Parts: sequence; structure tokens; C-alpha cells
Amino acid sequence: MSMKKSKRTYRFILLIVFALVNALMLFGIGQIFSYFNTGADRSSILHTNLPDAKVYLPKVTWEDTINPGRPIEKTTLARITSHYLQSWYVKQVAYATNDPFGIEDFYTKSARVNLINHIEEQQQKNIRVASTSLQHNLSLDFYSLDGQMAVISDRNASQYQQIYKEDTLLFETKINPSYKAVLLLEDGFWKIRHLVKEVPQELATQDKLKESGFAEVKGQQLLVDNTPFIMRGINYYPQETPWDMFGDHFDLNVIEKDFKIIKNKGLNTIRIFVGYEDFGKAEVDPRKLKKLKEVLDQAELMHLKVIVTLFDFYGNYEVLDWTLTHRHSEQIITSFKSHPAILAWDIKNEPNLDFKSRGKTNVMAWLKEMILQVKKYDPNHLVTIGWSTIESATLLSSEVDLVSFHYYEDLAFFEEKYVKLKSEIDKPIVLQEFGISSNKGIWNPFAPSEATQARYHSSFSKMINTHEIHSMPWTLYDFTQVPSEVVGSLPWRKQKQKHFGFIDKKGNPKKAFTFLGL
Amino acid sequence: MKLYNKHIVIVLLLWVISSFFMRLVAQTESKVLLLTQQKVFEAREQITLEFQTSENALLYCHSSYGNALVYPNLELGKGFYCLPEFLSEKKGSIDFDLIAQGEKWYSGSIQIINSTQETILESYIGPPSISAGTHDFTMMTVIPTDEYDNPLADGTKATIKHHFLETITNESVETKDFIFWKTIFSRESSGRLLVSANINEISSKEFSIEVFPAQPTNFTIDYTRKHHYADGNQITTFTTSVINDAYGNIISDGTLVEVVIKNAKGGILKAQGSTIKGIANIEVLHPDAPEIWEASAYVSGMATSNAITLEYHSITDQLSVVFSKQNRKITVGPLKSFMKQLVPDGVVVKLHILKNGVLLDTEVATSNKGMVTFVLHKGFYESGTYSFQLEALGIIKTYSNIEL
Repeated sequence: MSMKKSKRTYRFILLIVFALVNALMLFGIGQIFSYFNTGADRSSILHTNLPDAKVYLPKVTWEDTINPGRPIEKTTLARITSHYLQSWYVKQVAYATNDPFGIEDFYTKSARVNLINHIEEQQQKNIRVASTSLQHNLSLDFYSLDGQMAVISDRNASQYQQIYKEDTLLFETKINPSYKAVLLLEDGFWKIRHLVKEVPQELATQDKLKESGFAEVKGQQLLVDNTPFIMRGINYYPQETPWDMFGDHFDLNVIEKDFKIIKNKGLNTIRIFVGYEDFGKAEVDPRKLKKLKEVLDQAELMHLKVIVTLFDFYGNYEVLDWTLTHRHSEQIITSFKSHPAILAWDIKNEPNLDFKSRGKTNVMAWLKEMILQVKKYDPNHLVTIGWSTIESATLLSSEVDLVSFHYYEDLAFFEEKYVKLKSEIDKPIVLQEFGISSNKGIWNPFAPSEATQARYHSSFSKMINTHEIHSMPWTLYDFTQVPSEVVGSLPWRKQKQKHFGFIDKKGNPKKAFTFLGL
Repeated sequence: MKLYNKHIVIVLLLWVISSFFMRLVAQTESKVLLLTQQKVFEAREQITLEFQTSENALLYCHSSYGNALVYPNLELGKGFYCLPEFLSEKKGSIDFDLIAQGEKWYSGSIQIINSTQETILESYIGPPSISAGTHDFTMMTVIPTDEYDNPLADGTKATIKHHFLETITNESVETKDFIFWKTIFSRESSGRLLVSANINEISSKEFSIEVFPAQPTNFTIDYTRKHHYADGNQITTFTTSVINDAYGNIISDGTLVEVVIKNAKGGILKAQGSTIKGIANIEVLHPDAPEIWEASAYVSGMATSNAITLEYHSITDQLSVVFSKQNRKITVGPLKSFMKQLVPDGVVVKLHILKNGVLLDTEVATSNKGMVTFVLHKGFYESGTYSFQLEALGIIKTYSNIEL
């Protein structure tokens, strides 16, 4: 009996194994078959059809393409530009990771050796370099008749580098060397054959002059139309579309009505937010720009000044991501560099909150460079950064025009802290956000009520008037919807964020409304 | 007294200037001092930068291809920074910063120039074939390097030599932007151009460039044929004159020549042939019916010939037709040619079958030993009155009211 049973078991096992082996073999054959049926088509062999990934976009200008060899075609010039930039990109990735991946595509065999040497040295000494180039001023020195060789000069190629040893930052540096490069067309790629750093020719960079008619800063005084200006403003989102002002439900009529309310309360400034992803990252959506223009035009019509906060919801700051953010700001800022309604560009809302997760070095370096970028494209408007606490306000205070901070802490300590800050900084100081949420309810009986909120604003307005503080409370409306990106998805946090307004969900003024603009 | 005053002014001025410079120096070199005076190094030299410092500061070097950090050898209050070979062997400027405690203590730069020991020529040429005449050219580009693969300095003298039909030309050039180059124009005759480059005794490899004849110019055509009969069997050969380019070079072998024939009905016939030693022979089958052809030849888009007219005569004016088997079998033939000989097999005979003036069908058959037979089966053609039209060798014969 047991003999028979074990025989049956063996038979069963054998059958299963047989079926498995067969299945495995079929699978293997299938894999081999599909392997030989996929892959290399001609365009991929010749690299004729590689999509340009938008991962690295330093500013490139061709200063001169006239060369003694032959006139260059636009498509070739675009290809050379793209491949030259990619040669920088792969080099920077290689030095940041100490992995020569991708080097092969953009450096010829003999040029590659040099990079490998550097990578090996870095590996040995446990060093890595996070770097990016910011600008390439190119000129074409030579383009051969058969279209296989090009010599280009890269004048004052601006680069930023962070040098790490065993993951601690040794130092950061910004350099502007010039290069001359010989490129050869191999396998459809323009590859670097020679790269020689040259003695940079210092050219007088012409600083763009500030046009007249824009806000200015003199010491601690803010001047608009040459007269002292005290910012009495408010942080603004339309009630129905908070954190999505320029989305599908954009309605200029709503904004116009809100601006009237703001104007009637005697306010003179609003602060609005431009989302980095919302506006299309490195390729800014022209439709969004149009909406922003409509808002700014409306503000100008109603004599409201606008602080535009850029890079909302941006949080990468990695050195290799810089150029994308630069292109983002370039497109927005050049579009509005002469817009009279803008008072200041606020580079980023509360960037100090990212110090912990993204590294203070990275965030600070990014901000510092971004200020330069904004000033490069727009000499007219002021620049500020909205720090989340008064303690952070001194950061980069020599780089910005206005020092802005947010205050959500205890009212009692404000005056003292403000006076101290004012004595330290010789620039206008803006209390860019403050407020209290009146989210008292069944679920939260100990939270501030509307009356508490009114008292809070009443006492704040006294301090504001005493010290003539540039101030903008948070915010005009109570909201029904708060996206999770703002305060996270925890319901009690969202609930709190919904009740900072001066006007409630039904559109009725809350008690604090009396003190708005007072 | 006046002189005395002047002296005081000069001394004061000197004091101001010197103190100003002292301050400048003090600002940049307060903590360390670079003792190495040499600023320019040749690629083969070993580079050791000597600083007066007792700090264990890092030397950050930024060179053509990347960065390097150099640690010092400290001896007697001096720091010796020996640059690694991969830095000191590569041409270009090296910017360096002495870094200690995250601060730059000293910044400077040195220049590395190419070694003058050895030269290697890396040469390219293109396009590899050009056409004769005086307008087309090729370009030789050379990247001269030293033994460390550094491009040579601008202004290095070089020669580009080329040989063409017993003539050797030497041309002097200078390097600029790391390369030297020369465009070489073709001559009026075709042939092979040999090109090479030199710097001193160092030579590049030899390149050969094919100088092809230029575009063909207009030419003439003629024809030969065994007889002038439209027998659909013999071949007429069109022959071009020797086709030359504008400079008298015979055009390249294999140039495609197309003969375009317009027949009497306005139809177009085409035939192609390629040239050998400038001559193309293009063969066309005789028509099988009397024809008048007007022929001309083209090298597409470049050259054309004169037009010639050819006449083909009928080989016979008779077509014997026999109806049998209740007229359901139609026998054509024997078909005879111009000497009363049987026509070669394959002459096309067409039979158009009509009923009440409506074309029902056309049957096509080819001759075999001079004969063609059509059989009209009952299944296809019911009994009745039909008309027939027979067409062969350009002759048309009509038979009406034939009872099947």
C-alpha cells in the first residue's frame, strides 16, 4: 500500500518536474526569440533619432558662428550644442557619482582617458564633486567641409562646484573658465576630442541698467514713485482655487472682485504664488504666463503692487537640477521684467523649511545663484526671500533687496524680535506672512475662535502701525479645500489651514475683517 | 625750500602707494606665500608647487577636464604640492586654490603648454571624392598633438602636400585653434589626388581623393539594326557618341543613359544602358507592326542627345484566315515574313469578338510555327451571329455576320 502510494507520489513529482522543465525551456526559447526580434533598428544604431531629454539646460548663447571652414547648418549647430551640453552633463554626473556611465558617448577614446583618470583619482581619495555649468558663451572657430569636425570656444563658462570628501562638504566654489574644444562626429554623436582650458579673457560684463519708474530701496526705506511706501498687503488666493490660482478654474472676474475688496480695505499690495510644476518647470507654459499677465494687469489697473513668489512647491535644489530652474525663472522673469505692477520677486516661499531634508548648503547655494539669475534677467524689480521664521531672516540679507519673514509664533515676543532684527539689517523688512487660524469647533474646542483671531489682528495692527512695518497677513479667505502638498494630508492640519482668512467660507466678513488694513 | 617741499610730497606719495600695495599683498597672501615662481610649465615637466605654510592645507586644482585635490608634504615650514601626472601632462591653465578650514587662503593659476618633444599628426580628409573642374574641392584637416595628446600651440608651421598627375604642390600653413587645414581644389582633368601633411620631419598618413569627371555634356546618338522590318524579333541598338564632361574628360563608367522613344501613336517607350568608356549601347526589340519611332537619349537631368527617326516596315500584307467546325475554330496562318519565310514564334495575334456591335472579349495568342488557332467553346459563346476582328503584324481583318 505504502509502496504504491510512494510510487504515485514519485510519479506525480516527476510529472510536475517534467512540466516545469518544459515550461522553463519554452520560456527560455521565447526570451531568445524575442531578444533577436527586438532592438537595433537603423535610427538607433546611427543615433539619428535620439530625443533631447530636458535634464540639463544651462544658458547657451552662440556669439559667433562665422568660421573659415564652411557655413554651418542650423540643424548641425543645434546638434553640436546639444551634444556639447550633454558632454558636460555626463561629465558632471560622472564626477558626482564616480561612475563613468555615458562618458563613452560624448568623449572620443583618447579624450575619455582623461576623465577616467580624474574619476579614478576621486575614487581613490574618496572625493566627489557635485557641479553644474550655468552658462556657455559659444563661438564656432572651425567647421570642416565634410561636416565631421568642429572647433568651438566656450568663453567664461560659468560653473558651480561642491567638493565633498567622504560625504562632508570641503568647500564650494564658482568659477568662470574659458575652454576650447575640438569635436568629432562619431557614430552620430559630436564627441569631445580635445578640451583645453584657456586663460579666461575678462570681458567687461555690462550690467543691465535699471529702468526708471520701479520700486527702489534706500537704506531701510522702500520707495515707490520716489516716495516712501509702506506695504500694507495681503497674501492672496482666490477662495475657490487656493494653491491653484492659474489652473483650469482661473476666473479673472473673481480676481477683479477680490482686488476690489482688497483695495476698499485700503491695502496696497498682494502676494501671489507661481508654482514651479504648475507653470511647466523648465518649459514654461505660455497659457500660464498669459493668466499671470492678466492678474498683474488687473492689479496695475487697481493700483495694487504685487509680490510674486516663485518656485512654489519646488524642492529639489540638487546642483544638477539648477539649470532647469534657471530656465524656468528666465522665461517668467523676462516676460515681466518691465511690468509696473510687480514690486518684488520672492524667490521661494519658506526655503529654510527644506534645510533639513535637502541640505542647507544646497538650498542656500541655489538661492544665492537664483538671486543672481533673477537680477540678470530683470534689473528693475526688487528681490526677496520669504523666510518662515524671524530668526532666519538674516540669511542672505546682503543679497536680497527686501528682507522678508513670516511670523506665526507667540504674539508677545514679536515686537522685541522685530526691533532686534531691524537694528541688525539696513534694508526694508517685510512681515510677509502672519495670522492665526480660527478653527474652533466641535472637534477642536480649544482652538482660537473668530473673536480670538480678531483680537490677534487688532493687537498686530497696533504694532504694525507703531513701527510702520511692511506687512501682509495670511490670508484673505477661509478655504474649503486645501491640497495635501501644502500642509500634508493629516485632517487636523488641513482643517487649521482652512481658517486663516478674514472672510469666511460663505463670503461673509469675519470679526477680524475690521482690523484688515487698519 | 621749494625743493624740500617737493621731496616731502614725493616721499609721502611713495609711502601712500607702497602702503596701498602692502595692503593688497596682505589681503591675498596673509596666511601663505607661493614660493614657486614658474608660471608656465611644459607638459612633460613634473610640477611641484611650493608654499610657505605650515598648515596642512589642501590644494584644489581645476584643470581642463576636471578637478583634483592635492595634499602637501610638509617640511620645515614649507608645503610641497606635487601635482599628479594626469594634471601636469595636460595642456591648459590650471587654477588652484589653497583650502583650509573651508576657506580659500591662496588663489593662483599656472599654465601648461604642450611638450615639444614629439609630434603626432591626426589627419582627416573629406569629402573623399570630388568632381573635375575648378569649383569643387576637398579639405584636409590635421590635429597635431604632442606625445601626451595635447594639441600644439597656435602658429606651429606645417606643410600640406598634394600630388596630382605628376605635379606635386607644397603649401605652408600654420596651426590655429588646435588644427591646420587646407582646401584643395580639383583641376580640369579627372584622376587621383594624393594628399599628406608634415610638421618638420613628422608625416601624416597618405590620403587619396578621387577626382571624378564633371557632369556630362550633350552628345549624339545613332542606331544600327539588321533590317528595317517590324518583325518583333530583331534588335535595334542605339549607340551614343563618347560622352564627355565640360573639360573633355570621359564621363565615369556606369553613367546611366536613357533612350526615350516616341512611337507613331504618341506612346513613350524607354530603355536604359550604362556607359563604358563614355559610350552607352542600348538595345530595343523591333516592333511587331509598322512603326515610326522618334528617339532621343538623356543622362537624366544633365545632358541630352539629338533626336533621330526610325521607320519600321510591315513584313507582310497578307493574313490568311480559315473558319472551321461551325466557325468555332479560327485558324490564322501560316504567317509569312518578308522573304516568305515563316515568322519566328511568338508573333502576337489578337481576336476581338463582338456581338451586336458590342465587344465581348479579346483573345490573345502567340504564333507557333507560323500558326495561331482560336477555339470558341459553346460554353462561353452561345450560338448566334458574331463579328470578329483579327489583328496581327499591323494588319486588321474584319469578319461580320458569322454564325456560330
